[in-house]
Amino acid sequence: MEAFVAGLALLLDPKILLVVFLGTLIGIIVGALPGISGSTTTALLLPFTITMGPVPAIAFLGAIYCAANFGGSITAILVNSPGDPSASATAFDGYPMAQRGEAGRALGMSAVASAIGGIFSVVVLIIAAPLLARVAYSFGPPEYFALAVFGLSMVAMTGGDSMLKNLIAGAFGVLIATVGQDLTTGVERYAFGIHSFTDGIEFIPVLIGLFALTELLEQASQLKNKLWVAKLGAVRLPSWQDIKDCSKAISISSVLGTFIGILPALGATTAAMIAYVETKRWSKNKAQFGKGAIEGVAGPEAANNAAVGGAMVPTLALGIPGSTTTAIILAGLIVQGIRPGPHLFTEQPLLLYAVFSSMLLANLLYLALGLGFAKVFARISLIPPQFLWPAVFVLSVIGAYAPNQAMAEVWVAIAFGFIGFFMRRYGFSPAPLVIGLVLGKMVEETLKQSLLIFDLSWGGFLGRPIAMTLFGLTVLFLLGPWLLQRLRDRP
Amino acid sequence: MNSNRVAAAAVVAIAVALFAATYWFEQMPEGITRGFGAEAFPRLVLGTIIAFAVLLALGSPTSELLPRIPAMVWYTGASLLAFMALVPLAGMLPAMFVFLIALGMLWGERRRWFLLLNAVLLTAAIWGVFVKGFGVQLPKGLFF
Repeated sequence: MEAFVAGLALLLDPKILLVVFLGTLIGIIVGALPGISGSTTTALLLPFTITMGPVPAIAFLGAIYCAANFGGSITAILVNSPGDPSASATAFDGYPMAQRGEAGRALGMSAVASAIGGIFSVVVLIIAAPLLARVAYSFGPPEYFALAVFGLSMVAMTGGDSMLKNLIAGAFGVLIATVGQDLTTGVERYAFGIHSFTDGIEFIPVLIGLFALTELLEQASQLKNKLWVAKLGAVRLPSWQDIKDCSKAISISSVLGTFIGILPALGATTAAMIAYVETKRWSKNKAQFGKGAIEGVAGPEAANNAAVGGAMVPTLALGIPGSTTTAIILAGLIVQGIRPGPHLFTEQPLLLYAVFSSMLLANLLYLALGLGFAKVFARISLIPPQFLWPAVFVLSVIGAYAPNQAMAEVWVAIAFGFIGFFMRRYGFSPAPLVIGLVLGKMVEETLKQSLLIFDLSWGGFLGRPIAMTLFGLTVLFLLGPWLLQRLRDRP
Repeated sequence: MNSNRVAAAAVVAIAVALFAATYWFEQMPEGITRGFGAEAFPRLVLGTIIAFAVLLALGSPTSELLPRIPAMVWYTGASLLAFMALVPLAGMLPAMFVFLIALGMLWGERRRWFLLLNAVLLTAAIWGVFVKGFGVQLPKGLFF
């Protein structure tokens, strides 16, 4: 409790207040820009947090993460082009509402539902993360290895539609993490004589390449698409009747979103889609869905913001990312020299509670900013791509170059931009690759430590019930959908 | 040939090449490797990748034919490489200035004054924040 109060007190620090405010503002703006998602922004701005110190850096990235989900709903409602993938479900009913002249009402509901979902999940995060960390405190390398494998199996559900492609991309991420000197033997792996690969491939240029530069090439193929923008009247708070009508949708979606967010690798987009289906199922006005039902805006928005706090639970308590953006935030912590996990709760409680309180503040800030300045943010979403994307490239170059002041890092970013483009073309999402990359070192280290404990016998895992349970869950998770399909197909 | 099989074939080819590369890793004595050499983990991962790729190839084929990559994507990709080639000659800031105008024009923007103003403001902002603010030393060219 003392740590939490101290964490809250940190919000009185003008520097922290400023970074949370800036993070929230940037989060809404980039969330509102079609094509630039929260994960792209966190990847792009990650290099700039290096000089900040751990607390403001993570508060800044956390605020962007919270606000980008809400920002995405602005373009989803006004332009029918979600600024962030997590706002895709919001467009189903938000855009029809805007077409019939209710854009202000839809945006108002989006801001309120997002804030309620976001605050609910941060409260769950404050309660659940220390409990989960306490459970994980007794974990040894075998349990961590099993947990990391379980986390990697969850990438099957991240990104693209094909589980196999997601798993392949995740495994390639793990492989990229092996580049450089092996910690045990000092042997150089896959450096191919390139000096800067000796210490491994840095996270930052890979993330910038896979998100920002891949998207730049993707945008080049869509230049002919024109957007139709709905007119926006004054943004207004939802009426009591609206809130009453949507209370069930917001409650169910907040719980669902938080729970889905907690599951490793499943993020806000999945949460919003499932919440949309569940909101429709529990609604009295099913026929209105898809034609402009306000519950269809409230449900997904509450869920995608609830998933943010949920996704931070395994990220901070176990060091296993709960989503693509938290994988990038995890990379940000590692760059700062901090490896998240249960020990953080005893060693650096202040850092954690500062993150929690800054996320709470970000949720309140975007509610105020969203209601007050949605018209301005809506205009930002109309910056022509001919100006926006060259600027994104220039920022990507400086972001990749600045941390080590090396052009080799810019080449890595550009190479991964092309790799990401071709991956997407063939249905491989870059998101699982990032999660694999972030978890890769942990997987290898814990496997080596486990095998040393077991005298190089894989059978040693059989004597570790928690590890075996996690392996069992992994197998069940991977084979479950296939087995269910086989059972359904049986005559 | 359907795109899943093309992708699976490419994945297997890359994985096999990377698997073969592990045989060129420096060999260390057993006392140092403690039974788990530097090549063991990459081989385990690559074996898993090959198994997944085989399953992908054996799975139900997709009937969809991928559309051609629009020419603009190639031009944009080429402009990124041209930027990298320009940096050692002109320096990073001038290369950025040229790139901001060139890509804007390539993507169809015809308001040259807007492009010029955008390029001036952005390059100046990067100089102010990174060079003056953070003290980042940007690469200089042959002439600047």
